[in-house]
Amino acid sequence: MLTIYHWEPNANSGKPILAAFEKGVEFDSRYIDMLAFEQHAPEYLKVNPNGTVPAMIHDGVLVPESTVMMEYIDGSFEGPKLRPDDPFERWRMRWWCRYFDQVIGPSISMFGWSFFVGPAMRTRDPEELKARIERIPLKERRIAWSKAIYGTFSPEEMAESGRRIAAGVEHLEGALSERAWVAGHSYSIADIAGFNMMAGLPLMNPQVVNDTVTPHILEWLRKINERPAIRRSFALGRTELVKRYAHLDRRSGAAAGGDHA
Amino acid sequence: MLELYHWEPNGSGLKPLIALHEKQLEFHSHYVDVPALEQYRPGFLKPSAETRLPLEGEGPILIHDGRQITESLFIIEYLEDAFAGTSLRPAEPILHARILAWARFINEVLMPAVSTLGCRAYLAPKLKGFDRATLASLLERVPTKYLREAWQSAFDNSYPDDLIEDSRRKVALGVRRLEDALSSAQWLVGSSYSLADIDAFSICNSLPTLTPELVSASATPRLLQWLARMRERPAVHAALALSRTGKPEQAFAPGAEHARWG
Repeated sequence: MLTIYHWEPNANSGKPILAAFEKGVEFDSRYIDMLAFEQHAPEYLKVNPNGTVPAMIHDGVLVPESTVMMEYIDGSFEGPKLRPDDPFERWRMRWWCRYFDQVIGPSISMFGWSFFVGPAMRTRDPEELKARIERIPLKERRIAWSKAIYGTFSPEEMAESGRRIAAGVEHLEGALSERAWVAGHSYSIADIAGFNMMAGLPLMNPQVVNDTVTPHILEWLRKINERPAIRRSFALGRTELVKRYAHLDRRSGAAAGGDHA
Repeated sequence: MLELYHWEPNGSGLKPLIALHEKQLEFHSHYVDVPALEQYRPGFLKPSAETRLPLEGEGPILIHDGRQITESLFIIEYLEDAFAGTSLRPAEPILHARILAWARFINEVLMPAVSTLGCRAYLAPKLKGFDRATLASLLERVPTKYLREAWQSAFDNSYPDDLIEDSRRKVALGVRRLEDALSSAQWLVGSSYSLADIDAFSICNSLPTLTPELVSASATPRLLQWLARMRERPAVHAALALSRTGKPEQAFAPGAEHARWG
């Protein structure tokens, strides 16, 4: 019995969800409303004492960390392989997952929190928000939430994140111009991680990711967007967030053009 | 044919040295003088498209069949995937998952903190008198901004108080977690020695010297016993014996970056 506690099927929450659908594994989906701070509520802290989303329980055992969950799903269940057999490609898969987790992901999420989570939060009662922040178990997450809620990312921090996103995009475009998938010949958890981090970039950073400058990234995003598993994943969303990915739908004819963005 | 480019057996450089010895794999060792910035001088190994961006700072490089493999923990995973012999990785997915979760904490929280404290204590004094003009031209070749800044801090011996305080907090947190985990088990994950022990040991072997107020027989008895247990292993002994300075626990170079937020 597999249970995944998740927010929107996007970023870290999207990773184990998409991996499970790709693998053909049935799971019990528990939606945790991050904007209502359900991840810090006592009943959720019983599941994951760190109060972070996603969390995954398999036969009563907690599996930590979204990237780790994907390796676990691939290693534990029958179904299509989500990790390359070739040791070098498998190393490359791990390298890119770390790069997404440590460098690109935090930079993109700083933009996402600054433009999406922060403004949504500032419509709430300030006293209630203050109490909510104090209840967050991990110090790092407390700092992250208060920066997002009060919009106190410095211009230098935002600029540095922008620089990292641009550098990461260039690096990925180079890789995808040489091979079909991030790790090599086959679709892997590195593609799942990359898509969940980067699918919103053509809209959020259109001057950096567009058909002219990064044609290989756009093709890769569209190819993943067409997979049946991503349709099932998006269906678990409850906000407008995943609708942002409609720009990847080839049938809509919407081009992600840098020139007129 | 395996080749390993590495410096002193401490931190990330120690991990593949232990694993290669545990798996009894023949390899050619290239000792790199990291504090002299040999890795940025002309004629040094040219990085591949995959390895030009270091994510763990000044880490080792494995070459197998002409291909470069980096990131010390992933070098061990690669050796596990590519070679038979003694396995350092349990077959059960949940145990592998726990190893990977430890690895994230070690690489993103503990290692940056240990590296900051170690560079301040040992690298910065060693770099005094380094020719400024040579330095400037070598730093231009450092591939990422954070790593360039980490070297600059060591040359300037400039470590803000809040960075040092934050690093101490992170080391204390890591030490507490390790002590807890080792209070009910001999090894970090499951019932046997695994690459999680190699990963953590390589970062922690310096702590009794570097942060004696946090790691000692009275403060962290289990952690000290585990360090001793590790050092008794022939492979660990052989790896540490590759030291040319005789003090591997004082060998520090800029490591992984402190997480920028959250």
